[in-house]
Amino acid sequence: MKITVRLQINGAEARFEVDSTERLVDTLREKAGLTGTKVGCGIGECGACSVLLDGKVVSACLVLTAQVDGAKVATVEGLGKAGELSDLQGAFVREGAIQCGYCTPGMLMAAEAILARYRRPTTEQIRKGISGNLCRCTGYAKIVSAIRKTAGRRAIQRSGR
Amino acid sequence: MKSEGGPKKQDGKQRRKRRRAHVMVAFIKLTLLEAVTEFLWSDGPESLLIPGGSDILVGPRPFTDKHILIDISQVTELKKVTVGAGGVLSVGVGLTHQEIVDHPVIRRRARLLQLACGRVGSIQIRNRGTLGGNLGNASPAGDSIPALACLDARVVVAGRSRRREFDLLSFFTGPGETALQVDEVIESVQIPEREGRSVAFFKKAGQRRGMCCSKASVALLARRRSPKSLSDVRVALGAVAPTVLRIPEVEQVLEGRRLTPAVIREAAEACSRAANPIDDIRSTADYRRQVVGALLTEGLFEIADHMQLLEQRRRSAKRRGRRR
Repeated sequence: MKITVRLQINGAEARFEVDSTERLVDTLREKAGLTGTKVGCGIGECGACSVLLDGKVVSACLVLTAQVDGAKVATVEGLGKAGELSDLQGAFVREGAIQCGYCTPGMLMAAEAILARYRRPTTEQIRKGISGNLCRCTGYAKIVSAIRKTAGRRAIQRSGR
Repeated sequence: MKSEGGPKKQDGKQRRKRRRAHVMVAFIKLTLLEAVTEFLWSDGPESLLIPGGSDILVGPRPFTDKHILIDISQVTELKKVTVGAGGVLSVGVGLTHQEIVDHPVIRRRARLLQLACGRVGSIQIRNRGTLGGNLGNASPAGDSIPALACLDARVVVAGRSRRREFDLLSFFTGPGETALQVDEVIESVQIPEREGRSVAFFKKAGQRRGMCCSKASVALLARRRSPKSLSDVRVALGAVAPTVLRIPEVEQVLEGRRLTPAVIREAAEACSRAANPIDDIRSTADYRRQVVGALLTEGLFEIADHMQLLEQRRRSAKRRGRRR
């Protein structure tokens, strides 16, 4: 059964004809062409497919697209501008928080959820916030430090304004 | 909204016929509880309720005998939190685990439920999975269940023009099985008000802390009777029997006694004896039996420390009072 679903992906409205059992991650990758969101395990264990659904971090492999008609979806493609990294992405690069890069899109989205929830997250809050995302290369110390530094930079920007 | 039960239902039936040839699954979003129960009344055996969907998309999908997905994530009646007569807290089961964790009223009245919901899956799962899904799945490892068992919760289910209420544990009839009838949907859990100051913990053992299904879990709720002992102790275990268990043997050991290492050890041993686990993909019976005792021990020592700290603070406050 085909269902018409409207989504606002990274600010842009889009319509899709989806099957009733189609996963959000497949809609994003196959239909919207946004292959930044990765499929790691497909069963909600690894967090590689993390996206923000109405501002909340979810595993896109465990969401039926048909269920989220009208929702706002934020993917890694929405971070930064064309040819320009976001502050968080830049911090990941500078801190060496990337190796193979497969966990990175999900890690960035989980990080954005942490930064939206806490203005100055503690290390514990950061570690907890990315605990649903697995990285098998660099480990987590550099990722945590990239998120913490971004939080600090954003706090300074806010107070400067 | 009025017409939801009507024309779309016809639609669903037609599509279902076609599906048998094309392996198609129909999908319908319902936003009124009444529409859900009406729909289930006519098409229940073939329908699958989808609150968050986080469990349905894992593992073998049961779409061979369930070819209608009913999306109930937008049923606002299932998302209500109210405090009724006699202080009974009613929690709509459509809330996600994270919504429960963040809810200020639930924090004041059912902290143990928050502790358990906060340990379900990962943040990604907690943002999607609901309390109702956790109960409806009826997994013996469902993390909210031992907590609700300790809280003396009752389950309210809504059927076509009727409601039924269950003691939480009598609602579960076996692993993956509940007393729900085909036209019924879980509506809310009712948590009675507790007097006095409570202490509580929820502990689980799993593959990793950030994201796991429990190999075994322990919930405890009690009142601080004196600075050193507990009363009205409730202990429930998850994933060590076909359904979640309350453990009166352990509760009796702890009732009114000082939390000394010897008493804690006695309780842990009783806890391991009461467990009736199995070997499965996640763990072995032997490990589960040992680990429930260890989880209880860990939690009780934390409570003993906490109570000692409170007592020290109370004494030093008293001393300061006297000096003045």
